Amino acid sequence: MWNQVGQALSQSMNRMLSQMASLLPGVVALIAALLVSAMVAWILTAILRRSLTSVDFDRRVARWGFSALAEWSPAKSPTLLATRAVAWTVMLIGFLIGISAFDVALTSQFVIRLFAYLPNVLAAVVVLAAGSIVARFLARSVLIGAVNMNLQYARLLSAGVKWLVTVLAVAMALEHLSIGGGIIRLAFGILFGGIVLALALAVGLGSKELVTRSLEREASKTSSQTMQEPVGHL
Amino acid sequence: MDMGAVPQPELERIEQAGGADLVVGILDADHGAAGAAVAMVRTALTELSKVARVVVLCNNGAQGPLAAAPETESGRAPAVFAYDLASAPAQTPQAGMVGAYRSVFTVGEKLRVRACAVIASHLQGVTPQWIYRLLQPVLDLDFDLVAPRYTRHRMEGLLNRSVLAPLHRALYGLQLQNPAGPDFGLSGKLLQRALGMDSGSLRRHEREPLTSIAPTAAVGGFRVCESHLGARSQPPTDWMNLSSLLAMILGPVFSEMEGQAAYWQRIRESHAVPGFGLPEAAAEEGGTMDVHRMVESFRLGDQNLQDVWGLILPPMTLMELRRLSRLPPEQFRMTDDLWVRIVYDFALGHRLRTISRDHLLRSITPLYLGWIASYALEMETAGPPQIEARMERLARAYEAGKPYLVSRWRWPDRFNP
Repeated sequence: MWNQVGQALSQSMNRMLSQMASLLPGVVALIAALLVSAMVAWILTAILRRSLTSVDFDRRVARWGFSALAEWSPAKSPTLLATRAVAWTVMLIGFLIGISAFDVALTSQFVIRLFAYLPNVLAAVVVLAAGSIVARFLARSVLIGAVNMNLQYARLLSAGVKWLVTVLAVAMALEHLSIGGGIIRLAFGILFGGIVLALALAVGLGSKELVTRSLEREASKTSSQTMQEPVGHL
Repeated sequence: MDMGAVPQPELERIEQAGGADLVVGILDADHGAAGAAVAMVRTALTELSKVARVVVLCNNGAQGPLAAAPETESGRAPAVFAYDLASAPAQTPQAGMVGAYRSVFTVGEKLRVRACAVIASHLQGVTPQWIYRLLQPVLDLDFDLVAPRYTRHRMEGLLNRSVLAPLHRALYGLQLQNPAGPDFGLSGKLLQRALGMDSGSLRRHEREPLTSIAPTAAVGGFRVCESHLGARSQPPTDWMNLSSLLAMILGPVFSEMEGQAAYWQRIRESHAVPGFGLPEAAAEEGGTMDVHRMVESFRLGDQNLQDVWGLILPPMTLMELRRLSRLPPEQFRMTDDLWVRIVYDFALGHRLRTISRDHLLRSITPLYLGWIASYALEMETAGPPQIEARMERLARAYEAGKPYLVSRWRWPDRFNP
């Protein structure tokens, strides 16, 4: 009996060792792919860092109104963010190529599904970027317009518009990524509706001020004895 | 729309008859006043010599066929051909006015006129003397540009006083009260030059006749003078649309600066231009000026637009504005140096497109209101001589601050706020 137990253990040990041996080429291929991708990533980031530094990318990003990007970036440098993003992307691609050296059927399906999802990711990134730009532009337009109309709640209006557009862009991006589904739609509807309601209340309550001033102006025209001096600009 | 004002057969008839000596554009005539405008031109022509044929273009917005005034049968009085400037539908009033200017200039250039006069002020205050004074220096004294000089009250011409006139003086070296007209007298040579520069480095829609005529004359070395025209009636200020007015006027001014940068950077000092006509005394002023609302607008801008102004103005200027906003209204005074630096920094921001140009121009509104408030408080009891002296000090401040502008213009990165 002990011989049989020993033989069974020896056979399972042999199978395990042969399985591990069969994995060895894949592991070597994976390590080689990672090393090559690391080298490629290093070369690409060096080139990219020189190019972005030469065009003063950090200052241009701040001037274009993306100062928040600098806040999020490591060492507050969008150049560093961009180079690191490129490096990790190259490493990821190398990793995917490396794991395809294992079970070809399983990993190739995984890689195919990942690459099929990539356009959705890109579309979501584009939607978010466009939404951010539009939100910033509209918020600034509303802020300047409200200040020029002497509205005390100009900042609130501007923030409301910015969040409105941002929430819309995020919801559209999540829709592209097929994340959340019904829950996201419901949350978006509640949030969007809430922001619109808040803005409507702010405008409605705040316009009392405008109406009051307008009525005062009309009243002062008819009842006041003092004449206003004419003002001309050109 | 350029040549649509005069039908081709009519144009050919005038050309065959030897062209025209003058083109007069009356840009503020409503349909009923077009006849009165033409009569005013005829009256003015009686004092001008060697004028045989005149084309009058009235911008009364009439659509459809043009109406030509009958040619006079007298051999002595000039022949007057009057036409309507039909504007394209759905144009804004500003775009319509710009189109009208271009139409008048184009007709004048095509007919190879000796002189062109444009009257864009409200006809209510215009007299035949205006047309005479805008044309006579061109016809008899060989001037190329006759700029207007109006009799103004204390609170009239504020944008001219605060920005247009002193900026033009500092940049182009000519001391004009109203470099942006709107009423002008031009020679045929200047007309051709102005139309030729429309296809230059600046895109056509960035050049507007109102703001480009005087710089074109200065850059081209044309002879420039001023004529006293008297008081000008102006529409009441629409305070709700002040930012649109500022954007409409300052945008082309800053664009013109960009186009003429190579010239104005070499100008070191300014000089006065010859003046014609006698200045009229301004009627006695009445009424008060409520500056509190303007100070409040300035404070609101300072509280809410720091992020926007911070992209255009250096930290030192922002600090001064913050200090100014904390002063009580009675002590509210914006120094000339501060205002000059603000204007120059906005001009630079416009050139560098630091932010959207429309946003940039509209965000200057609270600062402009602050200047008006400061000026109104300072000049509350001042008479015309004190006001003129005050404006002279402001103009000198613009000239003194020009090295700052030139430095920032040439090396914007070095002075990046």
